[in-house]
Amino acid sequence: MANLQFKALRKSFGESEILHGIDLEITDGEFIVFVGPSGCGKSTLLRCIAGLEEITSGELFIGGEAMNDVPPSKRGIAMVFQSYALYPHMTVAENMAFGLKLAGTSKVETAAAVLRAAQILQIEPLLDRRPKALSGGQRQRVAIGRAIVRKPGVFLFDEPLSNLDAGLRVQMRVELARLHVDLRTTMVYVTHDQVEAMTLANRIVVINQGRIEQVGTPLELYHHPANRFVAGFIGSPRMNFLPCTLASAAETGATVHLADGTLLTAAVDARGLAEGAALTLGIRPERLLASRTASENTAKSTVIVAEHLGDTVFLYVKSPGSAEQLTVKTRPEDPLAMGDEVHLGFPAHHCLLFGPDDRTLPRIL
Amino acid sequence: MAIVIEKSQRWRVFAAHAFLIVLCALVIFPLLMIISISLRPGNFATGSLIPETISLEHWRFALGIPSMGPDGQMIKPDLPVLLWLWNSVKVATLSAAVALLLSTSAAYAFARMKFAGKKAALVGLMLMQMFPTILALIAIHSIFSRLGHTFPLVGIDSPWALVLAYSGGISLHIWTIKGYYETIPAEIEEAATVDGATPWQAFWRVLLPMALPILMVIFLLAFIGAVNEYPVASVLLRSQDKLTLAAGMKQFLYAQKYLWGDFAAASILSGLPITFVFILAQRWMISGLTSGANKG
Repeated sequence: MANLQFKALRKSFGESEILHGIDLEITDGEFIVFVGPSGCGKSTLLRCIAGLEEITSGELFIGGEAMNDVPPSKRGIAMVFQSYALYPHMTVAENMAFGLKLAGTSKVETAAAVLRAAQILQIEPLLDRRPKALSGGQRQRVAIGRAIVRKPGVFLFDEPLSNLDAGLRVQMRVELARLHVDLRTTMVYVTHDQVEAMTLANRIVVINQGRIEQVGTPLELYHHPANRFVAGFIGSPRMNFLPCTLASAAETGATVHLADGTLLTAAVDARGLAEGAALTLGIRPERLLASRTASENTAKSTVIVAEHLGDTVFLYVKSPGSAEQLTVKTRPEDPLAMGDEVHLGFPAHHCLLFGPDDRTLPRIL
Repeated sequence: MAIVIEKSQRWRVFAAHAFLIVLCALVIFPLLMIISISLRPGNFATGSLIPETISLEHWRFALGIPSMGPDGQMIKPDLPVLLWLWNSVKVATLSAAVALLLSTSAAYAFARMKFAGKKAALVGLMLMQMFPTILALIAIHSIFSRLGHTFPLVGIDSPWALVLAYSGGISLHIWTIKGYYETIPAEIEEAATVDGATPWQAFWRVLLPMALPILMVIFLLAFIGAVNEYPVASVLLRSQDKLTLAAGMKQFLYAQKYLWGDFAAASILSGLPITFVFILAQRWMISGLTSGANKG
């Protein structure tokens, strides 16, 4: 059980700086997910916590103690690697007992700890097998088991589910959530899959190009993204973005021009920005309305493709006045098909506006 | 896999087989010749491949079994061939073991650790090994001669000097092992580090067991090299009872008399320890030791 604290943590490899000053506090028992695109530095940050990478500058505290110069084995952490990294020449039981054996724990105690972990993960029948004789999902369990046995203060997971097939991934995701409830240990989880982040996390840390973009609960990030990057990264299918210019800003909302000249209103406070400023309008696919008739706050477009998934339909439509396409999530009862003319409705209180610096403008609620 | 073969392909398969059979014959021929020479009465290098009469005189000589002389007296062979063989095995085993120990740990440093001058050291090792031993022969002689004044154990005419000299030639082994280490995911050792292993424990208990096949190959190569080596052994060793088989066998061939038969029998003997070590090592030369570590 331990909390974590980062103070202006930086990491460089030679000349290139990967992490540009990370400030973050993780409370004891929290399930934190670092999420971001490939190469954003999230795995490097995790390896800095583990002590597998030296911290270039700044400070790292685990359980209140400075850890910059403490070797991995003394940090009270356990790590599950993306590739599982099991010891191929040892049996499952030996794999799980390795850490305790090195620590000089008695044989009886070790065996009991291994058995307990095996029971939690339901891998008791596999204890005498070599990793070679296990399936991908079983190897993943052994890797987690190896971490549990050591009773660490912090669990570190480096994209642990990315090598599993889709079905198994959902199953292991549920088990990880259950494991966190059972163990109540701090967990730091790295992934590029925003679905894993949304479902597992107490709080999500969105990282982009070595900087923290936003920290918050999954729903905070979903409903109140701090900037365009977070808005686009969290949520699937991703948010629709339309370039626009500010027509007028008032206390009650802002009016913008789309590229084709359509006027739309958004419940956003854009006062302070000059008329004609280049903005981006953002709206989630499930908030965008598609109908055959024009009404207030709509823009005209055509359906490019209609995807029927049974319970939902995804319409891909031309973005008014630009070459990009927009996604609309709608019900199967709407009989819109490829090539149909469509009027897109933008409910004002679901529209976000991003300023010229890509920051979210304050919404009027 | 039974792939359907086109008709025009068949003569190519036939040609390939014919080529391989000829190649095998070429490789086996010298061995058969040596066996034939060792079983032929008298000391003749040429003659038919299958001897007309079989004589064990050379084998008696090589194995040190006294034989009946022309005067009816039992003559003991004058050269200690079996002792030389034993010397060879001792020196080869020891030097191969030392070479293995040094090259595995050096290769670990080169494969996994970061330090200044790593690249230069690697290339330097390679370049130095490229000079033939003959070039350094005089230097080696004088080094061990001087060493012997202070430490008689590793002076001229001591098997330990030979072990030391052989153990130095490991740069190629370092390169080979380093290449193998690099195929093993570093994450496995990182997992061990997080599990509480010191760098030495990660090396000894995790990396080495996975690298077993290459260690066996290197041991075998170093062993064969030491058994076959002639120039350094002939310079460093003098007294007859200390010679290795490769160095001692020269004594079968002197200007007045070429004892081809004895020579042949002794060379077959020198192949025995190599074959034996190979059969032993083969058990561990298996692939797929790392399978199961990753997602697979």
